[in-house]
Formats: sequence, C-alpha cells, structure tokens
Amino acid sequence: MRAKRLVVAATSAAILASGLVLATGPAQAATNFCTVQNLQQAGGMDALVKAAKAEKELNIITVPRDWANYGEAIDLFSKAFGIKINDDNPEGSSAYEIQTIKTAPASKQPDVVDIGVSVLPDALGIGRKALFAPYKVATWNDIPSEWKDSNGLWYGDYYGLMAISYDASLPKAPTSIKALLTDPAFKGAFALSGDPTGSQQALMGLFAIAAANGGSATNIMPGIEALKAAKAAGNFVSVIGNSANYAAGAYKATITWDFNGPGAIASSAAAGKPLKFVIPSDVALQGTPYLQAINTKAPHCAAARLWEEFLYSQNIGKGSREIDAADAKLPGSKIFKMIMGGQNIWVAGAAHPITEAAMIKKKTIVNAPEGFAVPKTAKRVAPSPDQQADQKAIVVTEWPKL
Amino acid sequence: MDSESHRKMADTMRKNSASNLVLIIAGMFLFFPLYAAAEFSLRNGADKTHGFAAYRWIFDQSGFAENIGITFRVTLLAVVLNLLIMVPTVTWLHLSGQRYKRLVEILTILPLIIPVVALATGAQLAMPEFMQNSVYELSFFYVVVAMPYTYRALDIGLAAHPLATLTNAARSLGASWLKTFTTVVAPTIRPSILAALFLMVALSLGEFTLAQLLHWSTFPVWVTNVSQQNIVGATALAIGSLFFAWVLLFSFTFIGKKNSTIVTEEG
Amino acid sequence: MKHSTTNNVDVKGALANKGAFHGFFSPSPLPLLPLSLFFLIFFLWPIGALTGNAFKSNEGAFTFSNITMLFQDPYRLAFKNSITLGLISGFVGALPGLAIAMAIEKQGSQTLKKFIASISGVLANTGGVPLAFMFLAAFGPAGLVISALKSVGIDLYGLGFTLFSFTGLVIVYAYFQIPIMVIVVTPALSSLRKEWKDSAANLGASKFQYWKKVGLPILMPSFFACYLLLFASAFSAFATARALTVGNIALVPLQIGSLVDGNVTINQANLGYALAFGMIVISLIAMIPYIWIQNRTAKWQTR
Repeated sequence: MRAKRLVVAATSAAILASGLVLATGPAQAATNFCTVQNLQQAGGMDALVKAAKAEKELNIITVPRDWANYGEAIDLFSKAFGIKINDDNPEGSSAYEIQTIKTAPASKQPDVVDIGVSVLPDALGIGRKALFAPYKVATWNDIPSEWKDSNGLWYGDYYGLMAISYDASLPKAPTSIKALLTDPAFKGAFALSGDPTGSQQALMGLFAIAAANGGSATNIMPGIEALKAAKAAGNFVSVIGNSANYAAGAYKATITWDFNGPGAIASSAAAGKPLKFVIPSDVALQGTPYLQAINTKAPHCAAARLWEEFLYSQNIGKGSREIDAADAKLPGSKIFKMIMGGQNIWVAGAAHPITEAAMIKKKTIVNAPEGFAVPKTAKRVAPSPDQQADQKAIVVTEWPKL
Repeated sequence: MDSESHRKMADTMRKNSASNLVLIIAGMFLFFPLYAAAEFSLRNGADKTHGFAAYRWIFDQSGFAENIGITFRVTLLAVVLNLLIMVPTVTWLHLSGQRYKRLVEILTILPLIIPVVALATGAQLAMPEFMQNSVYELSFFYVVVAMPYTYRALDIGLAAHPLATLTNAARSLGASWLKTFTTVVAPTIRPSILAALFLMVALSLGEFTLAQLLHWSTFPVWVTNVSQQNIVGATALAIGSLFFAWVLLFSFTFIGKKNSTIVTEEG
Repeated sequence: MKHSTTNNVDVKGALANKGAFHGFFSPSPLPLLPLSLFFLIFFLWPIGALTGNAFKSNEGAFTFSNITMLFQDPYRLAFKNSITLGLISGFVGALPGLAIAMAIEKQGSQTLKKFIASISGVLANTGGVPLAFMFLAAFGPAGLVISALKSVGIDLYGLGFTLFSFTGLVIVYAYFQIPIMVIVVTPALSSLRKEWKDSAANLGASKFQYWKKVGLPILMPSFFACYLLLFASAFSAFATARALTVGNIALVPLQIGSLVDGNVTINQANLGYALAFGMIVISLIAMIPYIWIQNRTAKWQTR
C-alpha cells in the first residue's frame, strides 16, 4: 500500500518536474520573440542574438544616416550581427512612420520606429489597440520615468537643443534667432528646416522663433508673425532647409537639432561648403525626446528587440570601423559587450541620450563633440507634448497662409 | 532676280530670323539650368577644381547592383506585359475593331489625370496582401501609368500605315495568318512597338513616387535616399541620366522610316 | 489614309466575327478583354476604393462631411491655388511651346526636328528634386546666372525676383510644360498642309488673311486641347512643388501627400481620399473638352 503511494507520489513529482522544465526551459520550447517583453524572457543575450541572426534583416524607417550619428549605429549593428538593415524613406516624417504601420502590407512593416512626441497620441489611439508591442530594455531603470510608458510600449531615446546652422560665408555669424530674422545682413539667408505641419524638427524650430519673439511654449503665433515679417524683409526664403538646397545656395542658415551638426558639417564639407553650428544666445529650445517603440506587426521580432537593446546599451567599445570578421563569429553576448552602445553612439553625434544622467554617474559616457555649448543668456524653453499638440493645431491652419 | 523673288527671299529671311530668335531664347532658358547643374556636378569638393569623380560615385555605393537588379526585373515584366496586352489590342483595334477605338482612347487617357499619389493610396486600400508583398505589383501599375503614352505611340505608328489594306491584300494573295503576321504586320509595327517599349523603360527607370509610397526600394528610390548624403553625386546622376536618355532617344529618331512615329510621339 | 474606307474593307477571315455577336457588338469585342481586365484590376479598382473611402466617416458610415471639408480653408485655398497654377502654367507653357513648334516647322531641317523631338522628350519628363536643383543652381540666390548678372551690376533678387514664390513655381514648371507643348502640338501643326497655304496665296490671300480664315480656325481647337493637357499636368504636379516650397503655398497634391504621410490633426482620417477625389473630378472636367476636341480634329491630322 505504502509502496503504491510512493510510486504515485514519485510519478506525479516526475510529471510535475518535467512539466516545470517544459514550461520554463527556453531551450525546450520555441520562444515566440514577438511576445517577449524583456531580455530574460528572450532567454538571455545569446538566444536573442541567435534568433535575430536567423531573421537576417531589420526594417527601420525614416532614419537619415547623418541624424544623431545613426549611420554609425546602422553600420556597427549590421557588421557585428550580420543583419541587413532596410531603411524606408530616410527623409520621411514621424507621421509617415505611423501611417506606414497603419497602411503598409505585412512585409513592408517597420520593425521599430523613432518618432516625435506629437504623433504618439495617434499611435496609441483611443478605443483602438495600440500599435506597439511592450518591451523593457536591460537598462530600463536608467530611463527617466516621465519618458517611458509604464507598460513598456514606448520609451524616450535622445533629445537635443535647437541650434543655428549657418554658412561661414555670411558677412557675420548669426548668434541669435532674432538677429537672423531681422538683421539686413542676413537677407535671403534663413530657411526653416521643413514643413512645421508635419516635421517635428520644423515645429520645434517654429517654437524657438516664437520664444525669441515674445511667444512661449503655449503661444506659437508670434513665431508665425515673425516669419511673415522676415519674409517681407527678405530674410526668410520659403524653401525647405535641407542639405540639397543648402548646397545649391538657396539658403544660408537654418534652425536645426544640434545633433544633426556633426553629420551636416561633414557632408557639407564634401560638397565644398563651410557649415557651422552654434546654440542661439536668446533661446535654447530643448526638444522633447524622440521615442522608440517596437511595432506589434514587426516582421523581424528578435532583430527588433536586439536593436532596442543595442540602442540602449551604455557600453564603450568598438566602432564600425574597428570591428572585424573574427569578432562577428563570437557568441552573441560577447559581441554585444565589445561594441559601442547606442547611447554613446548618440553622444558622439552631439545628441543627449536619455540615460545621460545615469551614465554620468556610472562614468560610462564618452565625451561629447566640441562646439555645442549653451550660452548663459539663452532662455530655456521646453514645450511639453500637450503644448506641442495644441500649438500644432494652430500651425496647421495658419502656415499655408504665410 | 526680279522684285517678286526679291520679296520672297526677304520674306524668307525675315521668317527665318524670327524663328531663329524664338529658338535662341528658348534654347537659353532650357540650357542654363542644365549647364548650372552640370557645372555643380563636376566640382571636386572643397578645392575649386573640376572632374568626373561625382559621376563614378554612384557605382561605388553598396546596394547599386541590388537595386538596379530590382528595377531591371520590374521593367522587364512591365515590358512583357505591354507586349502581351497593349500591342495585340491596338493592332486589333486598327485591323477590325475601329468601332471601339474611341472608347479605348478615352480609357487610356484616364491614368494621365489621376495623381500618382492617389493611385498609390488606392492601391494600398484595394490590392490583396499577396500582391502587395511582391515588388512585381509595380510592373502592373507602371503599365497603367504609361498607358496614355504607350497607347498613343502605338496608335500613331499604326495609323501611319494602311495596315488593314495590307493585311487584306496579303490574305487575298493566299498568305496564311502566320505568314501575314511575320512578313506584313510585324515589320510594319516594329518601330511603334519599339517606341512604346522605350517609353515604358524610361518611365520605369525614373518612377519614384509610386515605388516609394508603396515602400519599395527600386533604383530611383535608392538613388534618392543615398543621394541625401552626397548632393554632388546626386546631381551628377541626374544630369548623367538626362544625357543618357537624350542620346538614346536621339539615336532612336534615326532608326525607322521617314515620318516615323518617334518625331510625333507624346512625352 | 482615311479611316472611313477601312470600315468597308472586307477583312473576313481575320480576327473579326469570332464568337459571333452580330449587330451591336459586331465585331466581337472579345479581344478587348485582356486590356479591360487589366485596366479594371489595376486602375479602376484602386481608384474605386479611394473614392469609396472619400465618402466614409471615421467610423465607416457614409458621409459627405469629408467632401464639405474641402470647401473650407486651407483646402479651399489649396484648390484655388492649384487651379490658378494650372491655368497660368498652361499658358506659360502653351504659347512659347507653340512659337517654338512653329519656328521648327519653318526651319524645316530634319536633323533639327529630330534634335528638338528628342530633347523635348527628355525635358518633358524632368521634375521633382533634380529639376528644382537645376533651377536653384542656375537661378537661385547663389545661382550661376544670378551671380553672373550681379557681377555686371544687375541684382535680380534685389529687384524682387525670386524662385520661392508662386511666380517662381510657374517659371520652373515651364521647363517641362514647354517641351510637352512642343511634342503635342507638332502633329497639329504638321497637319496644316502646305497646299492650303499655297492655294490661299494663289487665290490672292495675304498671310494675315490666310491665318485668320484658314490657319487659326484649324489650329485653335488643337491648341486648346493641348492647353488642357498642360493644365492637367501643372494641376497635378507634386514632386517639383514639394522640392521648391516649404508648405507655405497651399496646393492640393502637396496636401494629399502630406495627409498620405499621416499629418492628420483634425482626426479626419479619410480627408486625404476626399482631396484626391476632388482632384480627380477637376481633372475629369478638364479632360472632357479635350477628348471632344480630339475627336473632332482627328480627321484633319491623319494623312
């Protein structure tokens, strides 16, 4: 009788044990990386890298190579993990990213997005399922709480300050936004970096102009009025302030993110034009951080999550030019440890990474490039997401009347 | 020379000088932007020298082969579709379907008035998933977008020859349908077919909006993206392709008979 | 060759009468099936889907609200600007284009004609970023022509000239509008047979009388048809306008592009479709006279 009970007990224990093993052992069951919410659920870095490599590709969207040094991030990730990165419409807007998620076919869906705050409400949607899949990176706790979703749907990645970029051939350096728009020396010089009804950067540029002319984060009209006046005076040229138009000589100065500085200066030099950057002395507009998120419809789930871990890695290590074929053969976690983390890649691009404060404490931050110091006279303005949404509605109606 | 001939000669000279002036002014307007862009594309960067470095740049970009390959395959399919659909239909319209010619003319001009942005949006709404996941959906849309031009090229070319008469003559002289087609119809319509196919290729090589809105990376899309980092190279590419297209088109006008279709084709 | 006679030519044994639909559908339209299917699937279906969505509310119910929004600013302004741009650019392209085509007819050299034809074919397809760049490089504030003129004392930009305005856009559009006009009006010009001019001269008509009574009346409809084509071309041009402006000139294609990109703030998801639908309607209205005229003048243009 007792023996029988023992056998039953032993058998049940065995069944229970094997059940537990089956339930928790990632080596046994196939992990569905599309529902993985953190590195632990993925089974560790080695498993994640292995799965990502098997997917072979990563779809990103609207990422210009010279934006916050993203080009280096793309090159390093591709080389280290052998994953091909497809970049849909590099010059597109944040709104384009969300629209693509809503309308593109399965194979064309982006895996990850890097969006401005102003399109987040549309992405999260009311009464509609959110477009993002929850995921918390390894360095999650270093992200300030106001810049991450408690469920892990979105998380800030970097922010910047608005700087004046100008051609060195101007009669004098434009040190303030107000001067740029009113001084006759800058006639025909200034263009806005894009269409503020769609471009986050251009919208923030408009905020900066507003703040320099008596407006604020809650009043953007003075910015539009100032541009109208600048247009009449001839200082404002109504063309997109991008690199092509700059090379063609259509404009000589614009307001753009400081983290676009290094890349723009380099590519302008290649076209024979001397570009310089300076933070304006009247307004230091601090942008809201851009936000990372993983698409629920991501075609390459493991690669998407590996990319996020990479972007939030605070490691100091090898860059894309230093890594070689031998390194790429190492196990996943080893490669990950030895390459430069995304947070530091962004620092090299003159951006402020979101985990900046923690990195400074831990002393895991590299040095920022020179020349982007903030003048003491500059008024700090930081429009919140709600303020941006409110003022954008005004811009949509007023801008076509310029 | 008597006064009549004098007057005629003076008349001709005046006519010629007026026409010449028009052509000269037009030439200048059309020339300067080309020249300015060409000069820019020949620059060698910070040093003020000139050279062809920018023209070689695009070939050195990784992704060149891959994207040219994609565009090549898409174009090939578009050309085949044109051959299979447009050529027989227009030929038939001329041979025995004149009744329906007006209807088809009206239909084929419709793609001209639909903005490509609208077609792309509609395509994403309507097309089934399996089609949207294949880059070859572009071939089908390119055939539609090129239809106003390809139809007219074929139409004008066929109208220049009394094809129905010739066919009938061959048939009544005892030729089989196959022989009639190979010896009468095909040679007659070959220049028009070539013209139509050339238009198709030109469109496919330069079409950007539809490809990008449907999220495909074709050669024109890839070139635009890569060019963001190198404006000199991008300009070199634009000027280079313009020149290349013109050389092709110009030499084309020397093939084919007099009053050939090419001279009067629409854009 | 005249179309009318071929109808009477017996082409029995040919493709006709396959399937034996006599009477109204004779000859059988069956050979039209491939083209019709193709057209249906890859053109009418997407456009139909688009039109359907233009009348849908955010919840999916039928509504005119998207269409009524088109009559308010900034969309009303966009339609006004786009139509104006089309009308003006049509003339700016049509008149010089006609002059050039006539000049070439007069010159007569075959090589010149081939050269112009090939150049026109290439330039008619320019647009977007490359075209904008070409103009900036030549006529922009630091352009070659502008700088050259500055060095001899003429400061065009100081005098108020600028590419970054509505006028500037018209000037840039002319770059592809004029070649289009040359291409489409040349068949009409070459159909003005020399015999008519000679006959008129023989009968004692002066050049002016010839043009007034013969030339212009025959040419007018074709000119008008070509003008409509140019209108449609300028009305729907997208890439060039986007490359040259920063959203400050409201134009319908730009707004469609912007809404397609997802810049929706008024939470009217289907507004972009309604805008596209509005564009289609206007273009159709412009095309109807074009088709009618082409039908009427076709007989003059065949040889």
